[in-house]
Amino acid sequence: MSSTIETTERERIAFAAVELARHPERPRALQVISAITGGWTELRGDRLFGDDRAVVGGPARLGGRSVMVIGQEKGTDPMTRALHNFGMPHPEGYRKAVRLMRQAEKFSMPVVCLVDTPAAHAGIGAEERGQAWAIADALLCMLGLRTPTVSVVLSEGGSGGALALALGDRVLALENAVYTVAPPETCAAILYRDAGQRARAAAALRPGVETAQRIGLVDELIPEPAPGAHAHASLVIAAIRGAVIRNLDELCAIPIDELVAQRQRRYREAGE
Amino acid sequence: MDRADGVTSRRQAPRNRLQAPGPELRPTAPTTGTVACPRCKRRFVAERYAADLNVCSECGHHGVVGAAQRIAQLADPNTAETLLFEVGDRDPLGFDDGVPYPQRVARARERTGLHEAFLTARATLAGNPVMLACMDFAFLGGSLGSGAGEIFARACEMAVEERRALVAVCTSGGARMQEGIASLAQMARCSAAVAEVIAARLPYISILGDPCFGGVTASFAVQADVIIAEPGARIGFAGGRVIEQATHDKLPEGFQTAEFLLAHGMVDTVVERSRLRDTVGTLIRIYSGRA
Repeated sequence: MSSTIETTERERIAFAAVELARHPERPRALQVISAITGGWTELRGDRLFGDDRAVVGGPARLGGRSVMVIGQEKGTDPMTRALHNFGMPHPEGYRKAVRLMRQAEKFSMPVVCLVDTPAAHAGIGAEERGQAWAIADALLCMLGLRTPTVSVVLSEGGSGGALALALGDRVLALENAVYTVAPPETCAAILYRDAGQRARAAAALRPGVETAQRIGLVDELIPEPAPGAHAHASLVIAAIRGAVIRNLDELCAIPIDELVAQRQRRYREAGE
Repeated sequence: MDRADGVTSRRQAPRNRLQAPGPELRPTAPTTGTVACPRCKRRFVAERYAADLNVCSECGHHGVVGAAQRIAQLADPNTAETLLFEVGDRDPLGFDDGVPYPQRVARARERTGLHEAFLTARATLAGNPVMLACMDFAFLGGSLGSGAGEIFARACEMAVEERRALVAVCTSGGARMQEGIASLAQMARCSAAVAEVIAARLPYISILGDPCFGGVTASFAVQADVIIAEPGARIGFAGGRVIEQATHDKLPEGFQTAEFLLAHGMVDTVVERSRLRDTVGTLIRIYSGRA
């Protein structure tokens, strides 16, 4: 058996893929929103406790229709990264998302979710205010929402914190994004009792979005020109725009009862 | 994946069958000799401890209960029919951390006598027809893999078909890391199954035992009409140790205990194990509009 310290070539490659997905210059939610929508008006707060800046959302125009756009924002420099808590939402973020999804349902506006989080925030306040409850509620909301939904995994889809915004009728993912049950560091801490073995965990977990596609959590990969979205932001954002509009066109043609039934059946079978 | 015909095989073939009490009902706690209370260390004759539902008569500590014992504790005597759903074995990642994952599952099966971390039964509870879905922490930490998720989802569907109230006992460390993203998908899958129970307007009561964390808490465990926690149970999303390491904050006294969550408005009630059957039975009777 290999020593626990030694990092094999396979592990280095696997972790390099995680690092590519975490590249600081990859397109972020706010950047995508401002580039692909018109009139996006940010609505803040969960109307219950506070405003979580890791989740941003509001109504906008996209491809000739009104939509609700909700995104997890990681920030682009040290100050905004801290402001947005590195894209790790507190319960208020999920409750705000649910509030906006309900509003979208009321106005028959499709919902677009931009997923980009290493995980939901782990902290005392988050637990006191029901992090698990907020995520569980968002899952049920997305499953039953009577309006079309498209989720896009931009870079990192980590844990239930990502899944809560990723149960769309269609789930798209950038080619170099990762989608995992938990960040490799957390998996290593759980599996090997050593967060330092994150490369080993990354190799074992197959974090690439093609794994998520294979088990039915992702439908479509959006290609990125080499070396990746960080070097070709405007091209990739244009591709996201095109893919979202095309999917919305298809979804809006399906009667809503049928769409919701299809969605629930699809997630009932996911990961079988 | 979407299926064009809208019909899934799971509804057609009766893949569940009833089983007479056998290996599945082997209790996880010893039934002979003595056992010590994990908190106050007081020793009890095993039979007496089991008769007290694994609750220490000295300090009130609620000990771990296996899924089969749970069913026996909640169901009316001689009414529980254990359901063995045939769920396929999955190893989506070919996972091997020194011990191949299928071998870990096989060992857990041998040790617990269970097929998966969930054991389900149809029964009556204080006279009400119910579907019991109980998790067993002894089976790989009660982790939510595709097998466990499928069993829970089938139990939900059977509850809907037979118009039974759903009673789940949740105790789990969370996702089954060895199945990776397929384990994450179980949160979606179990939520979709709960959505069917909700749509059928059947009562769903969730009982949270010690411990209950991660993707189990963040999905079906708290999607119930009534969330009951056992005294002292530790319940949350992220574990206390993870939070301490990540934030270097000192955890408040009693953090993430049932009582802490009750004070923060996250659970409906904290109920001692000896009163669970009565409490759940009363609730179901009221929700079902019976006297």
